[in-house]
Amino acid sequence: MEEFIQQLTNGLAVGGIYALIALGYTMVYGVLKLINFAHGDLFTYGAYLGLTLLTSLALTDRLGFTLGMVVLVLMVMGLVAVLGAILERAAYRPLRESPRLSAVVSALGASIFLQNALMLIYGARFQVYPDNILPTATLNIFGLYLPLMRVLIVLASVLMMIVLYVFIQKTRIGTAIRAAAIDQGAARLMGIDVNRVILMVFLLGPALGGIAGLMVGLYYGQVNFTMGWVYGMKAFTAAILGGIGNIPGAMVGGLLLGVIEALGAAYLSIAWKDAIAFCVLILILIIRPTGLLGERVADKI
Amino acid sequence: MKKRLLILVAALGLALGGGVAQAAETVKIGLMAPLTGSWASEGQGMKNIVALLAEQQNAKGGALGKPIEVITEDDGGDPRTASLAAQRLTTKGVVAVVGTYGSSVTEASQAIYDEAKIPQIANGSTAIRLTEKGFKHFFRTAPRDDEQGRMAAQTIGKLGFKKVAILHDSTSYAKGLADEANALLKKQGVDVVFFDALTPKESDYTAILTKLKGANPDVVLFTGYYPEAGQLLRQKKGMNWKTPFIGGDATNNADLVKIAGKEAAEGFYFLSPPQPQDLDTPEAKAFLTDYQKKYNELPPSIWAVLAGDGFRVAVAGIAGAKSTDGDKVADYLHTRLKNYSGLSGPISFDAKGDREGDVYRVYKVDAEGKFVLQKL
Amino acid sequence: MKRFKPFTIALFVASLVFAPLFLNTYQVDVLNSIGLYTLLALSLNLILGEAGLFNMGHAAFYAIGAYTSAILNTRYQIPILWTLPLSGLIAGLFALVVARPVVHLRGDYLLIVTIGVGEIVRIALVNDVFGLTGGANGIFSISRPKLLGFTIRQPQEFHYLIWGFVALTIFLFIRLKQSRFGRALNYLREDEVAAEGIGIDTNYYKLAVFGLGAAWAGMAGTLFAAKMTIVSPESFSFWESVMLFMIVILGGAGSITGIVVAAFLVIGLPELFREFAGARMLVFGLVMMVMMVVRPQGLLPARSQQLSPTLLKESNR
Repeated sequence: MEEFIQQLTNGLAVGGIYALIALGYTMVYGVLKLINFAHGDLFTYGAYLGLTLLTSLALTDRLGFTLGMVVLVLMVMGLVAVLGAILERAAYRPLRESPRLSAVVSALGASIFLQNALMLIYGARFQVYPDNILPTATLNIFGLYLPLMRVLIVLASVLMMIVLYVFIQKTRIGTAIRAAAIDQGAARLMGIDVNRVILMVFLLGPALGGIAGLMVGLYYGQVNFTMGWVYGMKAFTAAILGGIGNIPGAMVGGLLLGVIEALGAAYLSIAWKDAIAFCVLILILIIRPTGLLGERVADKI
Repeated sequence: MKKRLLILVAALGLALGGGVAQAAETVKIGLMAPLTGSWASEGQGMKNIVALLAEQQNAKGGALGKPIEVITEDDGGDPRTASLAAQRLTTKGVVAVVGTYGSSVTEASQAIYDEAKIPQIANGSTAIRLTEKGFKHFFRTAPRDDEQGRMAAQTIGKLGFKKVAILHDSTSYAKGLADEANALLKKQGVDVVFFDALTPKESDYTAILTKLKGANPDVVLFTGYYPEAGQLLRQKKGMNWKTPFIGGDATNNADLVKIAGKEAAEGFYFLSPPQPQDLDTPEAKAFLTDYQKKYNELPPSIWAVLAGDGFRVAVAGIAGAKSTDGDKVADYLHTRLKNYSGLSGPISFDAKGDREGDVYRVYKVDAEGKFVLQKL
Repeated sequence: MKRFKPFTIALFVASLVFAPLFLNTYQVDVLNSIGLYTLLALSLNLILGEAGLFNMGHAAFYAIGAYTSAILNTRYQIPILWTLPLSGLIAGLFALVVARPVVHLRGDYLLIVTIGVGEIVRIALVNDVFGLTGGANGIFSISRPKLLGFTIRQPQEFHYLIWGFVALTIFLFIRLKQSRFGRALNYLREDEVAAEGIGIDTNYYKLAVFGLGAAWAGMAGTLFAAKMTIVSPESFSFWESVMLFMIVILGGAGSITGIVVAAFLVIGLPELFREFAGARMLVFGLVMMVMMVVRPQGLLPARSQQLSPTLLKESNR
C-alpha cells in the first residue's frame, strides 16, 4: 500500500509536466486543427534558455531566490512565447488554407530544424543545471518520502492550469479563443480578429511549454537537445487521451498518463512501460473514440 | 514546374557524384561516427580526438611519408545510415576506418569494409558476436561484453554483496552486459533479486527506483549509460535510499557527476578501461596535456579515447606493414602488433580482432566527484 | 496541371537502368535506399494518400515483414526471397487485426493510435517478444538472396532487384487507382458521409486498404532484410514512420509520380547535405519546411483533388 501511494505520487509529478506541455498541443489544435509537432522542441528551448539565463545572469545570486526565480520564469516564458509566435508566422501561417497534413509536415520540418539548431549552438552533450539552486528538503509523511520540489511541481502545474482555464473561460480574449475554436469563419464575422487569436494561442501554449522545460531543467538537472521528442510525444498522447482541443482534458490526460506509466512500471514491467501506456490509450479510444473529455464533433477536413 | 523538379532531381544525382576530384596524394583514414542523432555527443568527442591525433601525426611526418587525411562520415547512430556511410568511405579510397560506437551500427558496416578489404577498428562496439563472424579486417579497441560481465561479477563478489539487482536499458550493449553478469552471478551463488530494463532518455526514474528499493538488494548493477546513471543517483538521493550502485563502462563520463551532483555521485563504483589520466605512459601523458590545451577539458568519454587508440593503431599498422594494402595491414595488426602503448593501456589483438588481456579496472567516485582507481 | 510526358518517364527509367554503370557503389546504394523508401511510401500512400487515413506508424508493418523474413531465413533456412509473400501476408494480417477496432477513429485519433502501434511493435522487438526477435541485438547473418541461381550481393545487383520491384509496384498501383476499388478509396477520402451515402461500405474499404498497404510494406521489409543481412529495432523507429509520412505528403498525397520525386528528396537530401557534417539535419529540416510552404499541395498533387467530385470519373482515365 505504501509503495502504491509512493508510485502514485511519482506518477502525478511526471504527469504534471506532461499536462503542462499537453496544454500547448491542445490549444493550438483547438483553434487551428493543427498538431504542432514542434511544440516539444519549444519545451526544450525553455529548458536551455532557462539554463543560459540562470548561469549567465546569476539571477538567484543577485535578486535572492524568490525574486530571481520569478524573473527567470517570466523571461523564459516571454522568450519561448516569442519563439512560438515566430514559428507560427514562418511555418504555419502560409499553410493555413492548405490541406491539414501539409502543415503537419512543415511542423515536423520545423522540429528537426529547431532540434539540430540547439545541438549546434550548445553542442550535443547533456547540459547540466547548477545544483544547489533548489531547496532539497524531503518531506516525510507517514514513511513516504516526498521531495519538497516534487510537491511544488505538481502544485505549480495545477495552479497554472487553473489560471489558464479561468483566463479562457472568463476574459474577452479567452472568449474569442473559444469562439475561433468552434468556427473561425463565424468568429471572423462577429468581428473577432482571428489572426490575433491564433497569435495569442501561439504565445500562451509555448510559454507554458517553456515553463515546463524550465521546471524539468531545474528539478531533474540535466537537459539534452532531443528531450523534446520524448516529452512532446508523451504530451501529445496525453492531449489525445483527454480529448484533444479540450483544456481540462489535457490536464486529466497528462496526470492520468503519468500515473498509468508509474503503475505500469511498478506492477507489470518496466521495460514494457511505454507499450502498456499506449495499450491503455488505444483501449480508452476504442471505448471513447474522442478521448475522455472530448466532444463528439463532425469531422471536417 | 515539372522541368524544375526534374532539374532538381538531376542535380541531386550529379551532386552525389561530386567530390571525386583527387587532391594531392594523402593517406586517407576514415572515421565513421555518430555526428547527429542520439549519440552525437560521443561522435563529436571521437571526431575531436581523432582530429587532434591526426594533426600531431602529420607534424611528425604522417604515414609512409605522406600526410594523413581524415575523412569523417556521419552514421547517425542508425544501421541504414551507417551502411551508406560505409559505402561512401570505401568509394573515397580510405585505407582504414575508425569506428563506430553502437554495436548494431557497426554490424551494418562490417561486411562492406571486409569485402572492400579495408581494416575497420571499432571503438565502442562491445557486442560479442561482432568478432565471432570471422571477418579478417575487423578489429576493436573496446573490450567485449563477456569480458566486462566477468569483471562485474568478480567485483561484486570481492566487495561481498549477496543480493544484487540488475537494471539495464534494453540497448544491445547494456542487455548483453546484464545477461553476462546475471549468468555469472548466479553461478557464484549470488542472489539476483531484480532484473529489468528502464527506458533511456527519460528524466524521471523514481517509479523504477521505488520498485528497486522494494526488492531490497545490497547493491544495484546498472549496465546502461551515464545520463541515466546520473539521473538514477540523483533521484536515489532524493528518496533517501543509501544502497550503492555499480555501473558498467558506459557510465564513465565526467558528466555523470555533473548530472547527479557530487553528493549523490559519491560512492558510485564503475568498471572501465583505464583512463589516460591513470596511465603513466609518456603517450597517455602527452595526449592529455595536448588535449587539454586544445579543447580546454578532459576527454569527455572513454569511447572517444578508444577511437583515438583506433586511429593510432591504424597508423601503426600502416607504418608496420609499410603499405596501405588492407590485407597486409590486417595481418600486421593480427600478428605483429604486440603491447602497443595505447591511450587506454597496452593493445594487442588476437586472431579474431579482439583486444587481448585484462582491460578493465574498477573506479569509485570520491567526495570531490573525482574518479579514483580502486585496488581490489 | 500537366502530367509527365512519356518521354520524361522513359528518360527517368533509362537513367535508372543505366545508373549502376556510371555511379560508384555509394551512389548506387543511395539509389537503393531511395528505391526502398519509394516502395514503402507507395504502400503508405494507399492508406494515407488514397484513402485519407492518417497513419504515422507504418514502420510497424515494415518491421513485421522484415522480421518475418529474418526469422524464417535464419531459423528454417528458407531462401529469403521465398519469404516475400509470407512477409506480406503476415504484415497484412497483423494490420487487419490491429486496424479492426480502431479504423473508424477520426483523423488525429487514428494518428496517435498508429503511432502507438508502431511504438508497441518496436518495444516488443526490443524486448525479444516470444523469444523470436533477438531483442536489441536484432537478427543477424541473414543469407544473401538468390535469384535464378545467382546470388545477389553487390549494391549494383540490389539496384535491379529493388527498382524492378518498384516498377512492378507502380504498374500495379496505377491499375488499382483506376479500378473500382481505387475510386471508392478516393470518395472515402473526399467525403466519408457521401461515400457511405452512395453505398460504399466504408469500413470494409478502410480495412482492406490498411491490409494491402501493410502487406506491401511487409514485402519491402523482406527486401530490406535481404539487403542489410541484419535487422534490428533501431531501423524501425518512430522516425522511419515520420519520414514515410513526410514523403507521401510532400509528394502530394495520392500522386505516384510525386511520391517518387519526394522519396528522392527526403532520402537523397540528407546524403547530399553530408558536406555540412553536423549541420546536415538542420539544413534538411529547413528545406522540408520551405518546400511545404512553397508547395502546400505537395510537389505534384494528385489531379483528382483539383477537380470537382462530379469530374472524378474522367480524371481517373
